Amino acid sequence: MKKIATTLIGIISAALLSASYAETLYAAAAQTPAEQLYAELAKLKPDQRTKRLEEGARKEGKLTFVHTWRGKIAREFGSAFEKRYSYIKFEMSDLGSQDAAERFIAEERTGRHLTDILSLAVPDLAVVLKQNLVARYPTPATSKILKQYGGFVDKDNRWTAWYWSEHGISYNTNLVSAAQAPKEWFDLCKPAFKGQVSFDPAETRFLAGLYTMMGEEKTKQWLKCIGENQPIIQTGHTQRMELMLTGDHAVQGDNYLYAGIEAMRKNPKAPYAIVYTAPILAFAGSMVISRNTQNPHAAALMADWALSDEAQKLTSDFLRGPLTIKHPYLPDNIKLVTYNIVSEDITNRLHEAWNQYIGRTK
Amino acid sequence: MTRASDRLLLSGGGIVFVCLVVVLIYQVLLPFLLIIWTSLKVAHPGDPEFLELSFTTANYFRAFAIREFWEASLNTFYFASVSTLFSFVLGTFLAWTVVRTNTPLAQFIGMITLGRIIIPGVIITISWILLASPSIGILNYFITETTGVRRFLNIYSFWGMVWVQSLEMAPLAYLLMSAAFQSTDPRLEEASAIAGSGAWSTFYRVSLPLILPATAASALLLFIQTVESFEVPLLLGGRARVPVYTTEVYFNTARTPTDWGLASTYAMMLLVLSMALLVVYFRLVRHTERYQTITGKDFKPRRIDLGGWRYLTCALSLLLVFLITGLPFIMMLYASLMPRFQPPTLEALRDVTLVNYRSLLADWNYSVRPLWNSTLLGVGSASVVMLLVAAISYFVNKSRVRSRKILDFLGFAPIALPSVVLGTAFLWFYLLVPLPVIGSLTIIGLAYLTRYMPYALRFVSTSMVQIHTELEEAAAVAGGTWWKNLYRIYLPLLRPGLMAGWFWVMVHAYRELTIALMLARSRNRTAAVIIFDLWSNGSFPQLSAFGVLMFVILIVLVSVGQTVGKRFGVQEQV
Repeated sequence: MKKIATTLIGIISAALLSASYAETLYAAAAQTPAEQLYAELAKLKPDQRTKRLEEGARKEGKLTFVHTWRGKIAREFGSAFEKRYSYIKFEMSDLGSQDAAERFIAEERTGRHLTDILSLAVPDLAVVLKQNLVARYPTPATSKILKQYGGFVDKDNRWTAWYWSEHGISYNTNLVSAAQAPKEWFDLCKPAFKGQVSFDPAETRFLAGLYTMMGEEKTKQWLKCIGENQPIIQTGHTQRMELMLTGDHAVQGDNYLYAGIEAMRKNPKAPYAIVYTAPILAFAGSMVISRNTQNPHAAALMADWALSDEAQKLTSDFLRGPLTIKHPYLPDNIKLVTYNIVSEDITNRLHEAWNQYIGRTK
Repeated sequence: MTRASDRLLLSGGGIVFVCLVVVLIYQVLLPFLLIIWTSLKVAHPGDPEFLELSFTTANYFRAFAIREFWEASLNTFYFASVSTLFSFVLGTFLAWTVVRTNTPLAQFIGMITLGRIIIPGVIITISWILLASPSIGILNYFITETTGVRRFLNIYSFWGMVWVQSLEMAPLAYLLMSAAFQSTDPRLEEASAIAGSGAWSTFYRVSLPLILPATAASALLLFIQTVESFEVPLLLGGRARVPVYTTEVYFNTARTPTDWGLASTYAMMLLVLSMALLVVYFRLVRHTERYQTITGKDFKPRRIDLGGWRYLTCALSLLLVFLITGLPFIMMLYASLMPRFQPPTLEALRDVTLVNYRSLLADWNYSVRPLWNSTLLGVGSASVVMLLVAAISYFVNKSRVRSRKILDFLGFAPIALPSVVLGTAFLWFYLLVPLPVIGSLTIIGLAYLTRYMPYALRFVSTSMVQIHTELEEAAAVAGGTWWKNLYRIYLPLLRPGLMAGWFWVMVHAYRELTIALMLARSRNRTAAVIIFDLWSNGSFPQLSAFGVLMFVILIVLVSVGQTVGKRFGVQEQV
């Protein structure tokens, strides 16, 4: 038994030491080759820059990308990039934004640089930024972003915003008439909607949007009155939307509005309406390049391509909000509250308030 | 008398024993040490402080201080206890009916019961929402139409959760108990009948005590698996306002960065609970010789003649399998033929289409390749796991090697690891140890080996304790080697347990989601990852079509497995 124990300790020590070594190497690198390259690229003229990027990407010949869109739309997005840059061997995984961030952190912390670039929701970026895992990538591609979305651009170039997504109120028109429908966020607290309004469990990105719109105290008041109105808490945005449209309940207190529009594409008679009078909470999806990327040229091409006309048109076709062209279904005069990253302290307090007033399942 | 197995360390058995120890240390002990280490650390894996030899119990104090944790623990206990009771009764009744009675359509009933395991849990739960939701449930619609009573059924309730979970677990109880019933010597029952006891009395006084190990193993596994269950608490528990252990772990670790310290602490608590249950189990079955019914004398399982009662057992069993498998399968098939998510009505039937199947089959890389990956993983991990646990079970139950109980402990310990924790441990482990397995099927297969070993072990152990050592002793006297005895005596006699376990592991490995999701990359995606993908995109009709495709593939695999399995083993006397 002693021998077994000794062997065990040996194996564990070897594993931990290898991690320690990798960590040391990682910590020692003050500026990575990718960051040096991007600093140099920023000094070049656009045509020289493009030429150098494409030549570099050709030599690298591959790219590992993690998309946080899921399924068919992610695959079509990836295929379009592959078609445009056929000399790059493209490898894509699709994961939820939080899972992608988690896995990326795990890889980088153990010194395994397996991911070159990720698409992450900006509100989920805080933890990645805190650990200094992303390369600063200044790109002229962001100059095409429409003025109303200027708030999504990071002046420190830590991410490249390329689309936006939203949290908004919607309802089943068979169960609620337009006149009775909620007009503002606090209307969801009315007795008429008791037990009829659904939410996913607490999400940082939703709470951050509420905070940006109302401030901390008012957000807490809202959470309190929502909690008293017996909300339906059910995991799964799209499933929840589908259930509402089949008549399971009346109102989506918060959901991605495109989910209902997608349902209407399949069935034009789907009883769906968006509440336009209440502000819609908007956050950006961004391309984030690993500071330890092994393929910095190809990664930069991907970040730039996401803002190309081709990619933005695809984004619009998929009902997400493009940043350089008109939104596919929301009117121009919509009340939009845009936000990026809210500090960890504030989101922690808001999560506590959610747990206190709404609970995880109450 | 000297037992043949006592000499095993000098024979081929010694090599196998050493190999088993090494495999278990690598597959079980290392991930466990990583989790124990993490539970005693505030720093995250990868932080320099994580490697320091300073420890804290802060995570434990933090876990105990969460009020919701205690509420969830209590709910979990009620939920698991009631679900275990119901599923055990249902599964045992079906197993007894199918294996030990002359009930008509017995084989059909058995096959349909097992068919349930093949249908993904997410689809089952959503099917029951469509059937028994207060607002849109089709069963409620019929009840209202016929009786005028509105919202009679409510799937979003504690009892709704118990109902779906019990039906989910009943096939596991069926598998475990049918393996035990098949290995029970019928001469004891015949003796009881000759002594004047009726069928029920024989079952109660003779059959049931003989299958005590299987009963204890079933109850143990059903309880633990319900504690670990996720889909039902997540999809129904939220609306039912019944938070349970797994949803608490999920919500406590769902934010980025994941609180690995807290997650590991939860895993440790589940480990303690599982170990306590295992101790109870071992105490129940400590006199293994009492359950040895398969001896050197002639042994042929035989069915009990129920007379006219067989029609009642047939009707009851058919009703049960309709609820367990038939109804959800019909819902899955129906939804797969719909262009969009809608409750079943006559009007909806006009929209029947094959578009979901066409679009899935047209995209080879997206849907067909993961099905192939899952087939490889399912068949491969089930075969390796069953061989491994057969060897473990042999040493634990049939040898006198002093450290044999450690094998059982190591083989069973992973049951305490929730999939999310196990998946993470494997991810971290192979990120730390630079072996080229990340992104391959190998890493998922290795994790499945650890994940399913405890379940497979209980399947085989319940059959192993019923085999009398006199068979091996007789073979040893006749000059049989250890290898030959294992191959010629134990493996054929273990066939019911091995086949049941192989089937169970294969299907669950095929369906497994959490680990596959944690370890999946572009080239090693499994069928379950696609199911999750379709589910999270709200494509229930496509999800159902994928479920039907998976069902067909698994039926083929199980049939092939059974054909191969029947090439050796005892013949049943009908």
